[in-house]
Amino acid sequence: MSANPGPARAAGSSTPAPVATGSPGEELDELPSAAPAPQGPGERLEKGALAGAQAAPVAPTPTLAAGAPAVRLGRQRWEFLHYALRNRKLVFGFSVELVFVLAAIFGPLAAPYSSAGDSSSAGVPLKDQCAAFFCASGMTTHPSAHHLLGMTYFGGDVLSIMLYSLRETYLVGFLGALFAGIIGLALGFTAGWRGGWLDDILQLFTNVVITMPALVLLIVIGAYVKIHSPLFEGIFIGATSWPWVARAVRAQTFTLRERDFVDLARLSGKGGVSIVLKDIAPNMASYLFLVFILLFSSSMLLSVSYDFLGLGPTNVVSLGDMMNSAMLWSALNLKAWWWFIPPGAAMALIVFGLLISNIGLDEVFNPKLRES
Amino acid sequence: MSLKVDNLRITYRTLRGDVKAVDGVSFSVSDGEIMGLAGESGCGKSTLGNSLVFLEGRMRHLGGRAELDGRELPIADTRAMNEYRMRQVSLIPQYAMSALNPTRKFGKMAAELLKSRGVRFATVEEELRRRLGLVGLADNVLNLYPFELSGGMRQRATMVLSTILNPSLLIADEVTSALDVSTQRAVGEMLMEFRERGFVKSMIVITHDMSILAQIADSILVMYAGKLAEKAGSDTVVNNPLHPYTQLLLASLPEVGVRYDTSALVGIPGRPPSLLHPPAGCRFRARCPFAFEKCTEDPPFMELQPGHQVACWKAMKDAGLDIGPAVPPAAAVGEEASR
Repeated sequence: MSANPGPARAAGSSTPAPVATGSPGEELDELPSAAPAPQGPGERLEKGALAGAQAAPVAPTPTLAAGAPAVRLGRQRWEFLHYALRNRKLVFGFSVELVFVLAAIFGPLAAPYSSAGDSSSAGVPLKDQCAAFFCASGMTTHPSAHHLLGMTYFGGDVLSIMLYSLRETYLVGFLGALFAGIIGLALGFTAGWRGGWLDDILQLFTNVVITMPALVLLIVIGAYVKIHSPLFEGIFIGATSWPWVARAVRAQTFTLRERDFVDLARLSGKGGVSIVLKDIAPNMASYLFLVFILLFSSSMLLSVSYDFLGLGPTNVVSLGDMMNSAMLWSALNLKAWWWFIPPGAAMALIVFGLLISNIGLDEVFNPKLRES
Repeated sequence: MSLKVDNLRITYRTLRGDVKAVDGVSFSVSDGEIMGLAGESGCGKSTLGNSLVFLEGRMRHLGGRAELDGRELPIADTRAMNEYRMRQVSLIPQYAMSALNPTRKFGKMAAELLKSRGVRFATVEEELRRRLGLVGLADNVLNLYPFELSGGMRQRATMVLSTILNPSLLIADEVTSALDVSTQRAVGEMLMEFRERGFVKSMIVITHDMSILAQIADSILVMYAGKLAEKAGSDTVVNNPLHPYTQLLLASLPEVGVRYDTSALVGIPGRPPSLLHPPAGCRFRARCPFAFEKCTEDPPFMELQPGHQVACWKAMKDAGLDIGPAVPPAAAVGEEASR
């Protein structure tokens, strides 16, 4: 269920990407960069010692001077956008995602009906559910002009419920990716940078978590802990899906920490945290970006499957919940396809869009994969 | 007296034991002196230079001290050394060309490095631009990524950055080894220029290339297998070396204008000893054509002529010094076997 891209993708995408690297809008950019070199080629070499010797290396500098950097940088960014917009996979994936994200953010505001009182079983006391069932029995209706995606047994508008559900599913997916990313990066960087016994211990811990069956663990936890909020589900997903991130980041850190520029930073007395964040991490920025996308999609898939099994948050509706209640109330047998097809299709499209844009981004970041 | 190193001992920890890369080294570098540190690969010259700035995880400081401008360098304490790095003692690494972070513009990287030394970039920016201009780099290199610079430009940028805080001592580790001959000369002259302008007070230039040292160094220190062999003014070392190793090293250099198609270029037969278990006595003994019984004892690093120090029993004997009786060979053999 968890889409595990593993380190295989790392190889292709570890090259520093223009978008990740070109970002610094830092102090230096504000300096008057276009000022030409203060000395002309003649004056610059006042001391005879440097004069003859520097002749050859000086040659390339005039072409770079005076106003050149802005042009060059502009072209770099433009070049990245150029490849990003030309990549059909990326454009398609991002468009799909944009539609769903916008629907999740603004949908509930525009939803034709509220989802809270008259929706699926989620959050509604059983007594009321039964009452709703009996009074509204047989009320499932086909999609119509009033209810674009039809109605559930309980008279809930499927479209409205779905708009609310999207928000929850995205929220849990984002939280899960965030927590998994934070834990995975922290442990991966620590193990890779420090190495030695600390690395051994962290690897042991990582391997233990990898072997833990998350679903069984969730059932056990659910039996004891009564907190069932999207936040809890996000944390749980994050806490069980970080190991492969930690491993991949650790491996990348191992290769990068032996690079010469890291050595220079180290022997200049730069602190370890600063070296990891500013010298090592930017060199795998594109990879980390892709990792987050993959974590995002796998977290959403996990949350939907937990919700479908009834292990998710109980006070909100989500795509998994919709499918769960559709199954509980025999929507399949009653051929009420509008109850479970839309959430399933939405989920499939969301994950498909993320994976496709991931492939597209890989091609954009990695010049070797670009179609010329 | 700028730098004074006294009986410094540095080892590398390995699974097979400690490699004694620098074994009891004492020397001094005076203000304004460019000292060349020469020797073949693995003789400990880079270890010696690096240890004055940064002890890697595998390196261990066994003993001895280093004093810079009258203050002791806490070389075993990485954190305490931070106060000295770049300000008092700085290093141009062997890999200066690839020492720049590929994801940072040069200026940004310099700013981060200086920030870690507690220096605000704005306070040295003007000087940095001026010095970059001095080595032929337009000051817009601050806004360029390393891959937009040529190898030589990157090296010069690194050299300027290493010396921006006017360190008292600069250690240039093999800065010329990856360059072609004409660029080597340029870099050598740049180092001399740095000293003349007061960017650095004194300098240790580590290289295996005796010819570049003959051009730029005031004095040359020759190392062999973790120990000092000879130190003297560069003219003396080049024209009148006393240690057999230095003599053979210089003899193995090709001479300009001489064709070697009829006679082969002479090398030094044999290989340097393993520093895992270095032999007792003079370490060059096994390869030395002049070795005699006395050489089973460790030769002291003695000043035989003013400013000319040598660690060699034969040189001492030739200089008319009483070197005492040789240890009976049997005892020496027994001592060696016990190791």
